[in-house]
Amino acid sequence: MSAKSTTATGTSATRFPRISFWRTVVAIIFAAGLYSMYARFALGFKLATNLTDPQPWGLWVGLGTLCGVGLSAGGFAIAAAVYLLGLDRYRPILRTSVLISFLGYCTVCVGMLYELGIPWRIWHPIVMWNRHSVLFEVSWCVMLYTTVLALEFSPSLVEKLPWVRVRELYLRWHHSILIALVLAGTLLSSMHQSFLGGLYLITKGRLDPLWYSPYLTTMFYLSAIPAGLAVTIMAIYLCVRSLNARVDMNILSDVSRVIAPLLAIYGVFRVVDLINRDATQYLWMWREATGLFWLEIALLVVVPLVLLNLKKVRENPMYLYWTCAVIVMGFMTNRLNVSITALQTSSAAYYVPKWTEFAASLATITAAAVAFRYAVIYLDILPKNPPRERWLVPSAPAQA
Amino acid sequence: MATTRAILVDITKCIGCRSCEQACKQIHGFPMDTEAKLSPTALTIVEERGDRFVRRMCMHCQEPACASACLVGALKKTAAGPVTYDGSKCIGCRYCLVACPFSVPRYEWTKLVPYVTKCDMCAGRQAKGQAPACVEACPVQASIVGNRDDILEEAERRILNDSKYVKHIYGSEEAGGTSVFFISDVPFEKLGFAAAPKQAMPLLTASALGDGPTVILVGGALLSGLYWITQRRALVALAEAREKSIKERN
Ligand code: SF4
Ligand code: SF4
Ligand code: SF4
Repeated sequence: MSAKSTTATGTSATRFPRISFWRTVVAIIFAAGLYSMYARFALGFKLATNLTDPQPWGLWVGLGTLCGVGLSAGGFAIAAAVYLLGLDRYRPILRTSVLISFLGYCTVCVGMLYELGIPWRIWHPIVMWNRHSVLFEVSWCVMLYTTVLALEFSPSLVEKLPWVRVRELYLRWHHSILIALVLAGTLLSSMHQSFLGGLYLITKGRLDPLWYSPYLTTMFYLSAIPAGLAVTIMAIYLCVRSLNARVDMNILSDVSRVIAPLLAIYGVFRVVDLINRDATQYLWMWREATGLFWLEIALLVVVPLVLLNLKKVRENPMYLYWTCAVIVMGFMTNRLNVSITALQTSSAAYYVPKWTEFAASLATITAAAVAFRYAVIYLDILPKNPPRERWLVPSAPAQA
Repeated sequence: MATTRAILVDITKCIGCRSCEQACKQIHGFPMDTEAKLSPTALTIVEERGDRFVRRMCMHCQEPACASACLVGALKKTAAGPVTYDGSKCIGCRYCLVACPFSVPRYEWTKLVPYVTKCDMCAGRQAKGQAPACVEACPVQASIVGNRDDILEEAERRILNDSKYVKHIYGSEEAGGTSVFFISDVPFEKLGFAAAPKQAMPLLTASALGDGPTVILVGGALLSGLYWITQRRALVALAEAREKSIKERN
């Protein structure tokens, strides 16, 4: 451990100004986050949020839960690809994607505490059941899948324990349940992604026709996988750029080759659905919702498809990174549209989140990013380049 | 369910005296000021729409969206008709507010331990054989209460016998049927009534939920199958490689 941290400080020392700028930013975000925490739990919803009865779910659900869960879809997709489909070439990025998902679900769980009016009753769904509620299923999926992710991720931590016996026993046990975990994770995650869309099935007649569809579940599922993979690409690119990780960039373009058809399928599905429901007339109406719809489609489907079609983009990690950023923005636009903007016409609510809502979300996401950074530095998540001469210390070669 | 209770509000009779508002506030110990919208301290209000007065309150749906949405089952449709709320279960997720097609439930945003509030059709009073406070207070019987079947019959009788009425009982089809009905001589859209879907709301999510077990079974089988094929392929490849290396050695 100490050997590794020397390496880390070594690299950061050479780029001191940049790191210190980011440290300041992170410190400011955390300070604002702390105040938001105080506002939410000591002052209450009224002072901490702009939520109202016509807009009972706002940024914390739209961004925290819907985007948080959706963007964490990379973990199950890569795990299924590696273990169930035997696509071994993705194994080097497996741990990264599982780590992202795990941290993503952690932020979702923390977000729930902000979100629930009576957060200390968060365990109620375990004993009080309502099988007719989509939210009930969602809550069980969160609980179970977070557990699965924690278990999937656990070897990265356990292998760092100093006790050989414990390590061996645990890793052997883990190995024996791994496939079961991946199977359960794939199912839970798939259901979870879909059910988040299912939450809005009950808003028939109120959710804008450009979004309301009996197939909301399928759409949420289809869009989550490419978006989750995009996040994985972005994270790995950043690790290579600033954390000295050693990854074959060809894997990233491989992943991007999967993203493109997934986005295309999603796009076609949306179009067919609109035609089927006779909702195409809304596509050309002059109104805010239509504008937001086109923004979403442009960012989530059209622009990325055009970009990913260019060889130059697929094979240049930095271009790929920015393309993925566009996908993620498109995905977030979609989720925020469904959860906020597309409901506003019917509810006659005009909701703009309060700054404390932004701060709380941002602080949680930042905390996850910081945790990710330290995990990559201290654990064997990604193979790292050999440290430069003067920091070179004997250590076991990191394995994927 | 012959014993199910229901309320009928006849908008043509309402004189806008707000006695129902006041009575409801009184039995709940709320501050008595008039409020413009439903709120945690106003479970029913009287709205002025042109020259008509329209009461707003929970519709007590036959198959309530709110109850199907509540993940812990805090909201329940009782056999007697009212949709009741058990605050001790509520975790404050507010999905009921999202789900209700009539935008009825309110949340105590200002409180540190907030609960959901809505009219409970005076379930407690009705269990004791009393009428809901608001109905009892109405000086002109614009709101009446009774068995759901009788109330529906009465509503039908009124709109059939008098041509001034719009030929629709609001609540008879909305959200799959409710236990609070409105009849009026002005079209309902003009009075701010929600154009709720004409189907039981829980049906909308039932299809998605029904998929759950199927997804687990089919998906589980499919994925296990995939895994088995992957495994086998790896084994075959391994065996072939071994054979090849043995041959090469010979
Ligand atoms: S009107 Fe709304 S709150 Fe009342 S029972 Fe129906 S769904 Fe529930
Ligand atoms: S806010 Fe309370 S009553 Fe409403 S759905 Fe959530 S747990 Fe149920
Ligand atoms: S039925 Fe009872 S709770 Fe509901 S509005 Fe009337 S008085 Fe208030």
